[in-house]
Amino acid sequence: MSADLVRVAVDSERCIGGGQCEMLEPEVFLVDDDEAISSVIGSGELPRDRADVVVHRCPGAAISIVEPQRPSE
Amino acid sequence: MSPPAASTPTLAPEIADPRLYLDSIPHERFAQIRAMPGLAWHPYGDRGFWAVTRHADVRAVSRNPRVFSSAIGHTNLWDLEADALEARRSLIDTDAPDHTRLRRMVAGAFTPKNIRRWEDAVREITVELLDEFLAQGGGDWVEMVAAPLPIRVILSMLGVPVADGGYLVELSNYLVEGTSDTQSLPPDAFGNTTELRLLPFNSPASHALFEYGDEMRSKRRAEPCDDLVTHLVKAEAEGGRISRHEYRHLFHLLVFAGNETTRTAISHGAMALAAHPDQWQRVVDDPGLVEPATEEIIRWATPVLHMRRTAAVDCELAGTPIAAGDKVVMWYASANRDEAAYTDPFRFDVGRGDNEHFAFGGGGPHLCLGAFLARLEVSVLLQEMAARRMFLEQRGEPVRMASNFVHGVLSVDMAPGGAP
Repeated sequence: MSADLVRVAVDSERCIGGGQCEMLEPEVFLVDDDEAISSVIGSGELPRDRADVVVHRCPGAAISIVEPQRPSE
Repeated sequence: MSPPAASTPTLAPEIADPRLYLDSIPHERFAQIRAMPGLAWHPYGDRGFWAVTRHADVRAVSRNPRVFSSAIGHTNLWDLEADALEARRSLIDTDAPDHTRLRRMVAGAFTPKNIRRWEDAVREITVELLDEFLAQGGGDWVEMVAAPLPIRVILSMLGVPVADGGYLVELSNYLVEGTSDTQSLPPDAFGNTTELRLLPFNSPASHALFEYGDEMRSKRRAEPCDDLVTHLVKAEAEGGRISRHEYRHLFHLLVFAGNETTRTAISHGAMALAAHPDQWQRVVDDPGLVEPATEEIIRWATPVLHMRRTAAVDCELAGTPIAAGDKVVMWYASANRDEAAYTDPFRFDVGRGDNEHFAFGGGGPHLCLGAFLARLEVSVLLQEMAARRMFLEQRGEPVRMASNFVHGVLSVDMAPGGAP
C-alpha cells in the first residue's frame, strides 16, 4: 500500500519526443506539439515501480528519478 | 573487416541470404545463435558482422547510440559507398544532435494525443475497405486491406490530395520491391537520370517521390494548409531548421515507412488470426483484449527484421570485444522470439502481458516514429472485425518477399467466414 513515491524529470536536450512516457503515464507527461519535447505536468510524482518502467522505456534515456519522496502514509 | 585475432569468435550459421526468408524467418538458426556464448560472427562478403540476436543485447546496442552509431555506416547489413551513403542519408542514418533536431520536426504530429485525433479517419477508411472485402467474398488481403489502409492514412496526414493517392501507392510499391532482389523498373523510369546506387532502395521510384515531394513543397509555400508538409515547409523557411536534402528524405521516409511496415503487420496479423481462431475468438468476446492483441500481432509480424549500427569506438558486448568500425546487426526477428524475454515465445497469445517487443526498434532513440499510428491502425481494424464477428480463412500459401530486411508479404488470399 505505502508505495514509495518518487519525483521524475525530463532532460529536454535528450528528449526525442517519442511519446513513450505520455503513453505509459498520461497524467504525468505531455509531449509538446511544436517542439515535440516531453515535460512533466502536475506534481511529477509516481510510485517507484511505475517510475522505473518509464525510465526503462524512455528511448532517449531522458527521464530520471530526481528526488525520492517520503513513503506516503 | 575480420574478427579480432585475440580470440576466435563463434561463427553464426547463415542468416543473411535473402532466399532463407522466402518461406519464413529462419527461426531455428536464430535460436542456435541465441544459445551461443557471447556474440557470434557472421561472414558477409568482405565485411562480416556481429549478429546480435538476444533481446537484452539488442536493447543494449539500440540504447547506446554514442557507441553504436547510425551515422558512420549504413543502417542495413550491406555497405554503401561513401558518396551513396551521403546521398541517401535520412533521419534513420543520423545520430544526435542531427537526429534529435530532425525528429522533433515531425514528432509532435505522432504523439499519442495527436494520433488519437486520427481515429475517426482511420475508422472510416477501415470500414470502407472491410465492407468491400466482405462484398467481394474475400480476395487478396494485402491488396484489399493491408496495403491501402496505412497508405491512405499517411497521405492524409501529409496533405497529399486524394486524387494523387494512387500514384504514390504505385511509387511506394516499387520501393517495397527495391527491398528485395527483384526490380521491375528500368533505370530511367519516371524520367530518372540519377545513378541508382545514389537513390534509396536503388529505385528510380525514389526519384519520382523526391520530385513529388518538391512539388508539394512549392504548393504549400504558396498556399499553406494544416498538414505535415506545410509544417516542414515552415520549418525550412524559419531560419533553415531543415535543409532541402533533409526535407526530401523526410518526405520520402514518411511515405515509405508510413505504409510498408504497417502493411506487413496487418498481413501477418491476418494470417495469425486465421491460423489461431481460438485466439481471435477471445478478442471477439472481450474488446479489452484489442490492445494486447495489437501488441502481439506487431511482435508476431516483426515487419522490420534487422537494423545495423557501426561501432564508433572499441567496446564490448555480451563479453565479446568489438573493434571500432565493426558492423553490429540487431536482429529484431530474433529478439522478439527470445526464450529469455518471453514465456513460450512461439505461442501467439492475444492476452500476453508486459510485451516489450522490439518491432518498433530495440528501445533506443530510433524508436519507430509512427508507432502510435501503427497501433491505432491495427487496433481499429481489430475492433471493426470483431464488431462484425468476422473470422478469416486463409486460402493457400502467401507470396512472400525474399528479403532479410523487411518481412514482406506480397499477397495472401483470404476469405471471410464465421466462427469455426
